[in-house]
Amino acid sequence: MNMDAGQLDAMSMEALREQERLIARRHLNHFPWMTFSWGMANVVCWLLLWPAVFAWGLSLWVAFPVAVLNLMLFYLPSHEAQHSIIARPGEKLRWLNEFVGHVCSAPLVIPYRVLRATHMEHHKYANDPELDPDYPMHAESPLGAIWKAIQWRQPRPDGKPHAYARALERLGREDLIAEAALYELAYYTFLFAMAWSGFAIEVALLWWLPRHLAFIYILFYLAWAPHNPAMERGRYKDTRSFKSPLGNIGTMGMQFHVVHHLYPRIPLYRTPQAYWELLPILEKMGAPIEELSARPD
Amino acid sequence: MHFLKFIFSIGPLIFGIGFLAPLISQSFQALGWSAPWGFSTLTFGLLVGAALGALATVRGRWV
Repeated sequence: MNMDAGQLDAMSMEALREQERLIARRHLNHFPWMTFSWGMANVVCWLLLWPAVFAWGLSLWVAFPVAVLNLMLFYLPSHEAQHSIIARPGEKLRWLNEFVGHVCSAPLVIPYRVLRATHMEHHKYANDPELDPDYPMHAESPLGAIWKAIQWRQPRPDGKPHAYARALERLGREDLIAEAALYELAYYTFLFAMAWSGFAIEVALLWWLPRHLAFIYILFYLAWAPHNPAMERGRYKDTRSFKSPLGNIGTMGMQFHVVHHLYPRIPLYRTPQAYWELLPILEKMGAPIEELSARPD
Repeated sequence: MHFLKFIFSIGPLIFGIGFLAPLISQSFQALGWSAPWGFSTLTFGLLVGAALGALATVRGRWV
């Protein structure tokens, strides 16, 4: 889109929205090869770490950082599946969408169906202190956000059941609460069995600690940074673009999160391009895009 | 469901005994340390793991 400010000023709100939809449409319905490959490669890599450590003599000090990276990388392929980006219900590749969703969320020990249900609530009520399941990540500073991410992992944060459990209760999805409980039960049974068999350090460094560290990263960059300060609600206000020293790859594409909330079915790998094309309209609509208002050369 | 609720209500205590205890014990052994007060590393791990787990169960948080 090459429209100057004058042309945009002359457009009605409806025309702007139409222009926005036209741009977004160009980025929709593309198979997310990048996220799909990343998800599958990540699963294979993490699973191979186990025989590599136990049978092939790979040092735990090498395996541990790889496992942290693996766990950090599991969420987003599942996230693409949550939004049916790989295939929508009824489409031929729907099974693949669900497969990616399940296998990439299982190592995080949160069922795919739980992630999907709570994430849809997040999109519906982003920044609502009562109804947004990600709102407990609200914090005023990066250090505060890290602390909130640690708190998010506690058995009863704020003395109440977890925000995800509360969201599922509101939705009447006791079946999903039970599913999440069974996932945890299976995970802890595995941890305990490994630990009492003499492999506590191995299982701690291949799964337990990497999972905790991964959640801090995921919650920081996927829940806090794109919504900070999380004070406003509304289509163009409940998320923002931001500039991070880690860049787009280091933040897993979250710098352009505003595009995701406007058009959740645009694949992650296309959000930067969509963002730059939508930028003049986002500016006009008052979206918080100050930190990324000019395309780097 | 009631059984699951009970298990999760004392989850941190179970975690302290089921995971932290052997983890502490095996970490001491890997580092070549001996447990204080003449305890075996496993007894020491059980004491610390159970104490931390019980505290986390009461407080609803580890930190």
